[in-house]
Amino acid sequence: MKYMILIYDNAQTRERFFSEEGAELMAEVEAIMKEITESGELIGGEALADPSNTKTIRLAGGVPAITDGPYAEAKEHLGGYLMVECETPERAAEIALRWPSSRFSPLEVRPLMSPDGAEM
Amino acid sequence: VSTDAGVEDRLRALTPQVLGALVRRHGQFDACEDAVQEALIAAAEQWPAEGVPDNPRAWLLTVAGRRLTDAWRSDSARRAREDSALAAEPADARVAPGADVGLEALDADGPGDEDDTLTLLLHCCHPELSAPSQIALTLRAVGGLTTAEIAGAFLVPEATMAQRISRAKARIRATGTVFTMRQGAEREERLRTVLHVLYLVFNEGYTASSGAELARGELTAEAIRLTRAVRRLLPDDGEVEGLLALMLLTDARRAARTAADGSLVPLAEQDRGRWNAGEIAEGIALVTDALARAPLGPYQLQAAIGAVHAEAVEAGATDWPQIVALYRVLERIAPNPMVTLNHAVAVAMVDGPQAGLALLATLDGALAESHRLVAVRAHLLELAGDTSAARDAYHEAARQTTSLPEQRHLEGRAAKLV
Repeated sequence: MKYMILIYDNAQTRERFFSEEGAELMAEVEAIMKEITESGELIGGEALADPSNTKTIRLAGGVPAITDGPYAEAKEHLGGYLMVECETPERAAEIALRWPSSRFSPLEVRPLMSPDGAEM
Repeated sequence: VSTDAGVEDRLRALTPQVLGALVRRHGQFDACEDAVQEALIAAAEQWPAEGVPDNPRAWLLTVAGRRLTDAWRSDSARRAREDSALAAEPADARVAPGADVGLEALDADGPGDEDDTLTLLLHCCHPELSAPSQIALTLRAVGGLTTAEIAGAFLVPEATMAQRISRAKARIRATGTVFTMRQGAEREERLRTVLHVLYLVFNEGYTASSGAELARGELTAEAIRLTRAVRRLLPDDGEVEGLLALMLLTDARRAARTAADGSLVPLAEQDRGRWNAGEIAEGIALVTDALARAPLGPYQLQAAIGAVHAEAVEAGATDWPQIVALYRVLERIAPNPMVTLNHAVAVAMVDGPQAGLALLATLDGALAESHRLVAVRAHLLELAGDTSAARDAYHEAARQTTSLPEQRHLEGRAAKLV
């Protein structure tokens, strides 16, 4: 099963990664990335730019409106994601738990929809 | 890769012969497997342009042998650089003899080619490997598919699939497994794993939606081809024959199982005129023969159930009492919740929806989170006339499934019940 691991950040997450303890956190990231690369579980992943760079698009009363920034100030925002393929949901959760930001802010593990299916 | 189908078929058929011969000569399954893969890629590029060589097998053996020698030379050169204590010794002294030496002799001796196919299958289905690793390695080492083709079929990047294959080979190497034909109970157990792997390969292809079918649909043909090869080697094994029959009887429905708009068509609503008559005839002949062979196994019984469906000219003519009887035997010899689920559907067709629902109730817990259980319950509730509960169950199953076509199908069923 393929999963997307959504990594949420709060205002302090990136600060921590660039502070004195940052080297240790990055070493943890590298260790888990190395492990899931070698195991063939890693399919992809990206980090997202700060939410202040966001454009929000919405149709208000039939009129398209594009505004700067997210809809509302949130305590947490999506900071990036990993795509993995794991044998069990427990294994996908284990990978998420090993991601060091899990100590400061939540991650979500969500199964992907598949284009395949059998007649029922 | 610009290769015509003829060349590709020949390369795939030759793969286990060439790999088996190399491994018997040199050991080192993992290095030989890499070398053969490189030779296949070279052949796929050169043969369509330059023509197929007079002796394709010898050509592949020679090229793979050279790749193996190159790999060993660069390995020992690297080791020589790393090991300063050996720096004074001439590098040539440590170089292995060329693997392309004496291949003609190799070509003539040793056990036959077909023995190697089975030995290779048993080797790739090593019990230490996960099912996805067994599948990937089998498709490459025995099936002769490239890493890119396997990655495309499983919808992952090529680098990801390459990692899985090299890790699988490293794992086998770490166990110290020798490349040799297994014997006795170990061979029997491994053979069951091989059949399961071939079954999984088939299913990957069969469940592919039309959009993804180009890359994935080929897996059904590959599974059938490899199962045919195993059957040629083990003609008296009823389960091998049963598995081949099951694949053919299932594959026969392929064209009828999706509508023009890509949506799924349930068995009862399929246009049986679009079923593949040739595959059905072959499947029925195989299963008839297989059922006479003891001991009976789950593939023989599933194929027998498939044959009963195939023999019905229309859904209404299905011999459900016979299907119920076959599921009863299947539940006894290979009990599993999915079997009970299908058994419940058959029971509902014979004794009415309430009898089916009663059998389903025994599954709560075992299959608590399966959308299949909820979908079957929805169907039986619909048959029982409990429209409101059926609609709720269809919605619930649609929420739980991770398959887009199944979700669409289930939401469609719910919408019809308004």
